Amino acid sequence: MTKLSIGISGYGVAVPRLRIKKDEYAKAWGSFQASGVSEKAVMGFDEDILTFASKVSKRALASVPLEPGKVTRFALASTSAPYVEKVLSGTIVSSIGMPDGAFVSDHTTSSRAGTEALMAGVEHVLANPSGCALVAAADAPKASMWSSLEHGLGAGAAGFVLSHDDLVAEFEGHATYVCEHFGERFRPRDDELIRDLNVKKYAQSSFIGATVKAARSLLEKIGTKQEDYAHVVIQQPDARLPRAIARKLGFTDTHLASSSIAGELGDLGAASTLVGLAAALDAAKMGDRILVISYGSGAASDAMSFKIVGERKADPGLRSEVDRKQYIDYIQYLKLKGAIK
Amino acid sequence: MAHVSVPMYWRTIPQRYRMVGQRCRKCDAVNFPPKGVCKYCNASFEFDEVKLSGKGKVHTFVLIGAGGAPPEFAEQEKAGGMYPVAIVELEEGPKVIGQIADVNPKDVKMDMPVSTELRKVYSEEGVIRYGFKFIPEELSR
Amino acid sequence: MKKVAIVGAGQSRYGDFPEKGIKELFLESYQDMVKSVDKGMDSRRIGAAYVGNLGSGGFQLGNMSALVSEFVGLPYIHTVRVENACASGGYALISACMDVLSGAHDVVLAGGVEKMTDVSGVKQKYWLGVSGDTEYERLAGTTFAGLYALIAHRHMHEFGTTREHLSAVAVKNHKNGAQNPKAQFQKEITLEKAVKSPYVAYPLNLFDCCSTTDGASSVLVCDAELAKEFTDTPIYIAGFGSSSDYLAIHDRINTVTLEGTKRAAANAYDMAGLSAKDIQLAEVHDCFTIAELLACEDLGFCEKGKAGQFVEDGHTQIDGDRPVNASGGLKSKGHPIGATGTGQAYEMFNQLRGTVDKPARQVRDAEIGLIHNVGGSGGTVSVSILRR
Repeated sequence: MTKLSIGISGYGVAVPRLRIKKDEYAKAWGSFQASGVSEKAVMGFDEDILTFASKVSKRALASVPLEPGKVTRFALASTSAPYVEKVLSGTIVSSIGMPDGAFVSDHTTSSRAGTEALMAGVEHVLANPSGCALVAAADAPKASMWSSLEHGLGAGAAGFVLSHDDLVAEFEGHATYVCEHFGERFRPRDDELIRDLNVKKYAQSSFIGATVKAARSLLEKIGTKQEDYAHVVIQQPDARLPRAIARKLGFTDTHLASSSIAGELGDLGAASTLVGLAAALDAAKMGDRILVISYGSGAASDAMSFKIVGERKADPGLRSEVDRKQYIDYIQYLKLKGAIK
Repeated sequence: MAHVSVPMYWRTIPQRYRMVGQRCRKCDAVNFPPKGVCKYCNASFEFDEVKLSGKGKVHTFVLIGAGGAPPEFAEQEKAGGMYPVAIVELEEGPKVIGQIADVNPKDVKMDMPVSTELRKVYSEEGVIRYGFKFIPEELSR
Repeated sequence: MKKVAIVGAGQSRYGDFPEKGIKELFLESYQDMVKSVDKGMDSRRIGAAYVGNLGSGGFQLGNMSALVSEFVGLPYIHTVRVENACASGGYALISACMDVLSGAHDVVLAGGVEKMTDVSGVKQKYWLGVSGDTEYERLAGTTFAGLYALIAHRHMHEFGTTREHLSAVAVKNHKNGAQNPKAQFQKEITLEKAVKSPYVAYPLNLFDCCSTTDGASSVLVCDAELAKEFTDTPIYIAGFGSSSDYLAIHDRINTVTLEGTKRAAANAYDMAGLSAKDIQLAEVHDCFTIAELLACEDLGFCEKGKAGQFVEDGHTQIDGDRPVNASGGLKSKGHPIGATGTGQAYEMFNQLRGTVDKPARQVRDAEIGLIHNVGGSGGTVSVSILRR
C-alpha cells in the first residue's frame, strides 16, 4: 500500500505596515539590545493577533484556492492573544466563514506554539483522508519597555493550508524534544508582559540544546542528512542565535538566508518559525527540502521536514509585505504598545 | 460612550465579520447593512443571504481630527492621529460607512478603490469589538 | 378647517449658564413668552404643553415635561416630552398645532429646553453623537461633525462648492448674531479667520460647527379664532410639514440632499398654498455651515448645488432678497438642541411682527417666513411656515 502524502497546499503571510528602526531605541535608551535586528514590525492601533490571523487565513485559503467551507480543522498560535480566557479561534472561524463544526484549538503558551499548531494540523490530516486543516500563527509579543528583551519584539503572521491535495510542500516527518526548564522567557498568570531573568548562558544552553536535539532526532528518524536541505528555518528571537544553532547542526548561513526575517521584522514569537517557513517556501525550488526548528521556553523544540513538490507561491509574498512599510518614532511606538497609561 | 451592548453588537457579527447582506427576492437588489424591508422596492421583507466581496470605491470621506472623534475613538485618534472615515459604494450596489485603515489620510481620494478586512473597531466593557474596515484595494490581495 | 395662531413667544439667553438648570432655563423662556402676550395671559388657559428635549445629559429622562411644566406653574395638564434629536423643538411646535387642530385643546404651549454644559466633554459627545445611526455611523468613529463633513465633501466634489462658500455662511451668521442680545456668540468673524480655523472633521473646520449651548424657548399657540383675545397682531401658522429619512447617510438615495427637508417643505408649502418663491425670510437649521447650504437648496430657495454661490452673492443677507438666519442661526445664536426649533419660531414671530429687539437685525416688512429644524443628519426634519 502506498502511503498517502500530505503537506502544505497553500500559505499566506502578513506583516503590519508600521516599522521602528533600532536607532529610535538607541536615541531613547542609549543602546539597542537585539542582535542583528535593524528594524522591526509594529501592529497598528486597530490590529492584533486575531486580525492578523484572520488576514493570513484568508490569504492561505486564496492561494490554493480553497473554499473556507472545506476546512475541517483550525489551529491558532500566538503568545500575545487579547484574551487569556476565551476561544480565540471563534473570531477567525467566524470571520473567514469556516464551518462551525470544524475542530479548533488555540496554542498560546510559548513561542513554540506555531509548530505546535502546525503539527496539530498535520496530525488531523494524517488521521482524516478527507480532512483539511488551516493553521494560523500571529504574534506581537509584549514586554516591559524597561526590559532589554523588549527591544527585539516584532510582529507578523503566517497561515497554512494542510491537506492531501494540490501539495506545494510534502510533510516528511517531525521530532520533538521536551524537558523541564524554567526562568528564561516566561509570563506568570496575571502578567501581561513577558519576563526574562536574563541568566543568558542558562537560557541559551536550553535554546541551543533543545533545538539541536530535536533536529538531530528528526534527521535520524526520517533518514535525511544535512546536505539534503536547501533551507533551514530556526526560531529567531534575534538574528544571531539561529546562526549558532545552524553551525552546531552543520549548516551554514546560506541555509538560513531564505528564512532570515528577524533582522527586518524582529522576534515574531509563536509566528517566528511559520513566517520563516513561508519565506523559505517563497524562495524554494522544486525538489528543495526545508527543515523547520522551533523553540519554546519551558522548554520544547519541534523539528519538521518538508519537500517542495509544487510551484505555487503566496500572493503577496513575504518580500512585498516586508517592503511595504511606514516608519514610526519611539513615542508613537509607546502609544501603540499601550505603554503610556 | 455610545452604548452598543455586547448582545447588540454580537447580533451584527455576520455583517461586521463577513459582509453578509440581503438579496431582495422581489427586486433582486442587495441591501447592506440589512433592513427589515428592502430599501429599494420597499415592498418585500423576504431575502436571501448574500456574501459581499467587500470591494468598492470611496463615495465620500472625512478625516476625523483632534476633537472630532467620539469618546470611544478618542484614544485611537490620540495614538494614531487623524483617521479617515468613508462612505463606500460597494460593487454589489449598496453604500456603507467605515474607516479606511493602512492609508496616509492625505492619500485618500474620491473614487479610490478599497476592500475590507477585519480590524479592531473599539473596546467597551473589556470586550474588543472587531469588524470590517476598508483598506486601499492595492493592499488587499 | 381650524387655523392655528402664535400669540406669544419667548426665549432664554443662549449660552453657558452654570447657575441654571433645565427648570430655571425653561422658566426664563416661559416668563419671556408670558411678557410677550400683548393682552396678558392666564396660565389656566393652557391645556397642554409639548416640550422638545434631547436628554440634557441624562438628567430626568423620564417625565421631564411634567417636571418643567409644573415648575413654571402648569401642573395638571396634558404634557409630553418631544424627542426628535435636534428637531425636537420643531416637532414640539407641530405637535402643539396638531393638538389645537384636533380640537383637543385650544391654547397650547410648545417649547424646548436643553442643558448641555453641565456634563464633561466626553458625555457631551455622547449626547451629540447618538442621534445618527449608532450601529454603523457612530461605530465608524464619527460624531455629527464627521457626518456633515461626509455630506460637505461630496457636495464639494459634485458641485464645486468651496471652502469659502462654507465659511461665508459662518461669517454671515456671526454678523447677524452680533446683533442678537440673546445669542451665544455676539461677535463678528472675518472670512479669513473662518477659512483658516483648524479642522475638526476635514473638510469641516471649527467655524463650520455650532457650539454646545444651554437654553430654552417657549411659544404659545392657540385656535386662530381666539387669537385676538391675546393680541391684535397674531402670527398664523400657514402650513407645516415634517418627514423622516433613513437615519444613516449611506442608506439614503442621495448623499447631498436632505430628502426629509424636501418632503417636509413640500407638505408645508402645500398646506399653506405657497411655494418656495413666496418665502421672504427663513430661519434654517445651520448646525454646520454645509447644513445651511443644503437647506437653501432643499427648501427650494436656489437650485441644487448652487447654494454656495447663492450665499456668496448675498441673497441670504438681512438686506438680501431672501434673508436666512437673521437671528445668527444655530452657528452664532447657539444650538440648545431641544429648544432650537421653538427658538426659531420665537425669532420668526418677532421678525413678522416687526418686534426684533435690535433694528439692525429686523427684516423690513416681511409677511411670510419659514422655519426649518433638522434632527441628526436629516433623520427627522420639520418645516413650518409663519404668516402675518
